Amino acid sequence: MVPLRVRSCFSLLRGTAPPAALCRRAAGFGYTGMALTDLENLYGLWSFLAACERHRISPIIGTEIETGTVDRLALLVRNEVGYRNLCNIISRRKRKEKLGVSPETASWYEGLILLSRSETVLRTSRECGLEAAADLGSRPTEKGSRLRHLAATLGIPAVAVPDSDLGAPGEHRAHLLLRAIGAGETLDSGEQAGGSVQPLESPEVYASRFSIWPEALQATEEIAERCAYRRPAAGLQMPPWQQHGSQSAGVVLRQEAYEGARERYGFSLPNQVIERLDYELGVIESMGFSSYFLVVRDIVQPLQPDGTRKHRRICGRGSGAASLVAYCLSITNVCPIRYNLYFERFLNPGRSDPPDIDIDFAWDERDQVLTEVLGMFGERAAMVCNHVCFKPRGAIRETAKAFGLPGYEISRMTKRLPWFFKRSGLSLQEQIATLPSLKDQDLSGPWAEIIDRASELIGLPRYLSVHPGGVVITEGPVQDYVPVEQAPKGVPIIQWEKDGTEESGLVKIDLLGNRSLGVIRDAIGNLRKNGAEFSEQRWHPEDDLQTKAAVGAGKTMGCFYIESPAMRLLQQKAGSGDFEQLVIQSSIIRPAANEFVREYVRRLHGGSWEPLHAALEAVLDETFGLMVYQEDVSKVAVALAGFSHSEADGLRKVLSKKDREFKLRDFRDKFYRGCRENNIESMEIDRIWAMMMSFDGYSFCKPHSASYARVSFQSAYLKTHFPAEFMAAVISNQGGYYSTFSYVSEAKRMGLSIDPPDVRESALPWRGQGTRIRVGLQALHGLSQETCDRILGCRGERHFRNFSDFLHRVQPAENEIRMLIDSGAVDGLEAKANRSRLYWEAAAREVRTRAAGGDGLFPAVEFDVPPLRDLSPIDRLRREYQALGFLCRAHPVSLVGKGKVRTCKGVDLAAHVGRTVDFIGLLLTGKIVSTKTGEAMEFLTFEDETAIIETTFFPEVYRRYAHILSSQKIYHLRGLVEEDFGALTLTVERVRLLSN
Amino acid sequence: MNHRRFILHLNVADFAVAVERVVDLSLRDKPVIVAPLQAARAAVYDMSEEAYRAGVRKGMLLTRATRICRTARVLPPRFDLYRKAMGSFVNEARGYSPVLEHGVEDGHLYLDITGTHRLFGTPPDVGWRLHRQIRSKLEIDPIWSLAGSKLVSKIGSRLVKPVGEYIVADGEEQRFLAPLPLHLLPGLSSGERQRLGQFNIGRIGELAALSRMQLEGVFGRRGEALFELSRGIDDSAVRPEEERPPRVVREHIFSDDCADRTVLKGVVGALAAQLGMELRATRRQARRVGLQLDYTDGTTVSRQASVRKGVADDDSLQRLALTALERSLTRRTRVRSCRLIGDRLHGRSPQLNLFAAPATGRKKEQLLAAMDRIRQRFGREAIRMGSHPVLH
Repeated sequence: MVPLRVRSCFSLLRGTAPPAALCRRAAGFGYTGMALTDLENLYGLWSFLAACERHRISPIIGTEIETGTVDRLALLVRNEVGYRNLCNIISRRKRKEKLGVSPETASWYEGLILLSRSETVLRTSRECGLEAAADLGSRPTEKGSRLRHLAATLGIPAVAVPDSDLGAPGEHRAHLLLRAIGAGETLDSGEQAGGSVQPLESPEVYASRFSIWPEALQATEEIAERCAYRRPAAGLQMPPWQQHGSQSAGVVLRQEAYEGARERYGFSLPNQVIERLDYELGVIESMGFSSYFLVVRDIVQPLQPDGTRKHRRICGRGSGAASLVAYCLSITNVCPIRYNLYFERFLNPGRSDPPDIDIDFAWDERDQVLTEVLGMFGERAAMVCNHVCFKPRGAIRETAKAFGLPGYEISRMTKRLPWFFKRSGLSLQEQIATLPSLKDQDLSGPWAEIIDRASELIGLPRYLSVHPGGVVITEGPVQDYVPVEQAPKGVPIIQWEKDGTEESGLVKIDLLGNRSLGVIRDAIGNLRKNGAEFSEQRWHPEDDLQTKAAVGAGKTMGCFYIESPAMRLLQQKAGSGDFEQLVIQSSIIRPAANEFVREYVRRLHGGSWEPLHAALEAVLDETFGLMVYQEDVSKVAVALAGFSHSEADGLRKVLSKKDREFKLRDFRDKFYRGCRENNIESMEIDRIWAMMMSFDGYSFCKPHSASYARVSFQSAYLKTHFPAEFMAAVISNQGGYYSTFSYVSEAKRMGLSIDPPDVRESALPWRGQGTRIRVGLQALHGLSQETCDRILGCRGERHFRNFSDFLHRVQPAENEIRMLIDSGAVDGLEAKANRSRLYWEAAAREVRTRAAGGDGLFPAVEFDVPPLRDLSPIDRLRREYQALGFLCRAHPVSLVGKGKVRTCKGVDLAAHVGRTVDFIGLLLTGKIVSTKTGEAMEFLTFEDETAIIETTFFPEVYRRYAHILSSQKIYHLRGLVEEDFGALTLTVERVRLLSN
Repeated sequence: MNHRRFILHLNVADFAVAVERVVDLSLRDKPVIVAPLQAARAAVYDMSEEAYRAGVRKGMLLTRATRICRTARVLPPRFDLYRKAMGSFVNEARGYSPVLEHGVEDGHLYLDITGTHRLFGTPPDVGWRLHRQIRSKLEIDPIWSLAGSKLVSKIGSRLVKPVGEYIVADGEEQRFLAPLPLHLLPGLSSGERQRLGQFNIGRIGELAALSRMQLEGVFGRRGEALFELSRGIDDSAVRPEEERPPRVVREHIFSDDCADRTVLKGVVGALAAQLGMELRATRRQARRVGLQLDYTDGTTVSRQASVRKGVADDDSLQRLALTALERSLTRRTRVRSCRLIGDRLHGRSPQLNLFAAPATGRKKEQLLAAMDRIRQRFGREAIRMGSHPVLH
């Protein structure tokens, strides 16, 4: 028997077993083939195919679809045509189209085998000449008996199927939990007992059940034989370039590249440039990628109706930045010749996989770009999806909801859980029990069961989201290659993730949003509005001495990619501020590379070092003998273990894949074997392999780092020379590493004045000029876009006479008025603004409006306002903080009583190196790390009104205080001031919460 | 003619704890929490002043409460005992006036003693005497407060809580209220309190300084009510129980809050059976069944189901109760307690049906009658339907 109807966990919130587990189970039972028929999707196709290959069973591609009748129809793919039809059918179902089987729709089902329990469907299929089989279910029943007779009459087979949702009998309760989560209900004990869901059973079980109809098992094998289609094989799918004129893509690309080169390097091109361009163009053309470059260029700089190209601020990411052709086409932004970026990292004739050009756009322009691309290519373009799976935090939250716990109890628990759990042998419950941040959390009662049951959900897919920027463009309609559905945000998405997409041969272009490009654009725009001249034509911020000094001192809060505490500390320790070093630093800061960071700083400051191996001396010279970039992994594999370039590249790629264990094992064996052949000692190999594994999941290649470092330097330049404009742009664009509160504090520490929001002066974004920043109306959370527009519009017509006139003309909603008054934005409208009286006036107006039937158009009358007391200064500040999330002219720390202890201000810490001090600071952000022994510790960033301070909480201290640490609260810290290569840190010994 | 009224408000602070302290003297002056013991997610039903000061609140999870107040003695609630104590408390007061309004077992009562001075002496004397009497007979120490209205007497009690007494003399109301913080004023909605906070008005006197016009200008129709509240003006009468429409109420408090529909259905069915028994015992019928669900997060949802013709049999009542349950289970949150209310009551007609009832109906009636007899003799839980859990 071959199981023909099996659902995996990709039948979302229903199935419990990943395809790999099902295949393992099937192989264990001795099945030689299996069909995966998830509910209207092919989400799990690639993991299913990989698992089948691993367990040596023949895959049958299939799905189940709703046809409007009680029973779902299962479809199995027989051949190429069937696969294309299957993708189309699923896509139609996702558009909520009805898919009955009828003579009109018969062509949709060609190449497929239909398994149905509907007599009508079976009869119609037969009449239309479609291949169909009667589905008798997982055990003989009366209905099955009728179907069996019908099948005999029609001359079609009748088959037994597992019709399973589970991977093992014990997964029944996980299934019930998933159903409750899916339906948004609580668990019901009434449902626990019943249920027709079942696991995939062994052939013996089915043989015994169907001993009265043995031919139903035999028939499954005949059907399996007819389904010989094993995997989609469309080959490399290049996006189509719309040819203008008769010239080939290769010729056009050459012309455009040279034209671009002359813009970049001047009319007479240096020999080096010409040689490199010719070489690159030759490789691109021979590999057939010329049209691909032109398509990307058309996306980045689309042709406008007047024949010119639209210029967009971009940052090329990934290995594409190593191409001079890309640089000349303005697809990337760093000169690969100047920064020594190797084209081979991007393209070489030995590689068979598609090139990878990824581009960042300003975050608020990205959606427009996507809309243009989807409009330009129509049904030939769609976005890549993400399969969002249950992680511990979400699984616990959802399970707790199904257990009916109230939201606040769930939040109290889950907000103290880390976003990620380390892989370890401990159960989720054991891991949680040892978390210091949950020290005072009660884990008794239902929580124990909730955590236990939540752990069964971890890793199961939950819903689809849109990949941040991956777009697939194909020669024909995308739904001929892969099912397409509509994401909630309205864009078409394919049913596969990034890895599956690559595997299938579809070429993905990443079009991503980048906040900092918006920051740079807005800072320069603000500068120009202020009347300053600023040309980007010959802008080389990496050569500016003041900028280098600022980067070297770690004064980079707000600057792209180099603003995190770890990055700022690293720059302080490195102290150079060189572009080349920044390229290394951007790449070396990775979760698993702390010890290499320390070693890098030591070697940078002249510390002696030996190469990892003599053979690597030249390979890693530029990075002081350390593996820094992704490609270093490949280089080492080639140099030490005799890997070919494409094998080594395969190893590099596997490291960033989700489902890598299996493939990685092969590479590891090969690497160890190769090294031993080169007489490298075992311990040495272990050490090098461990270093390679630090690239696990998250790492950069050099072209990418260089491209990012360029944007970092542009930001740092603007921050150094135009601080008000830059900080205003950083805050306006939101979404940096820190909160608005932190950026406001940083601006104040830079000597800038923050002027409160004012409906007479503020624009929508924050604006800077000279040494002043005016808070933008966008800082007033809860103020709708419409109200902002009305404020700006009315103000443009004529000034507001007073508060009453403002209310009359702008007509803000009640909550907006509260925000406007508390933030001080309307203080300027009255000579002696008393906020209690402003509130009164607004309330009186609202009552009058309501009484007039909602018509607020009566004239701006004066109201009888009683003599109310104004707020005390501290109450004003409290409300300002509530409304804005920061204080314009004070710092919360300065308002906290210090008691009798003498405390040290942040700015004075340098004078106390080696001594224990008391410090009062507000917690901004933190990063939990794990020590070598697996204990949790945390690096936390605090600030007072004078400085931002990095602190270290070693495991014991962290365990003691983790449960009271929470951002935006003020603490009294006692600790030892330490210095490392010029960077100051406070190693905390004691903590006391001072204020909320 | 003098229209001055005398309303006495008596309040036993933390009633359940007060009753427990009568039973067990060793609990005095120690923090006490009343909550179900054998449950993982028990919630605090009541707590003593000491526990309150430590941060314990009603409805808080017991595990949290005992962490906040580690020295507290935790006792399981004994509702029958509190009901009995409340009865005695009310009876003591009833001797001074028939015009008496009280809650179920919350230790609050209003007593209208207007015109009783010839019988019992001056109103303050009544207060002192009643207080002494309750202390000596019941060994509990209620707060009492005397004023010309329910409103002012209640504020007096709130002011002196947890122990003491307060007498507001005629005409002194405004002077009494003026310095008090707004949170002591009953009847203000949270929205109104927030709005007054925006005007920087924190004391009752500041509110009273505003004219009726001004208040109506910013509070609309509620302005008039605020105007009167701030001046202690309250004409509402003390409403004795007999004046309220009759109803039958049964309640179940889950020791562990519960979100399981099957369990909830069982409990509501069991409550409906209890309701039916009481209705049949008093030969009455209900035309409406209401269900009030108290969710564990403090939200309350009430829904009803009604019929044209009164019913008293278990099946019909259960159908109505389950309809009300379906309507009130609107949230994905655990339920802490449910209260089933049968109202729109009328007496059962003594007239027999003209046509004989179908045999099954008759059999059911006989079964119910038999079950009622068993329960009367051997207790409420002596016999029950298989789908109904035991209710304590």
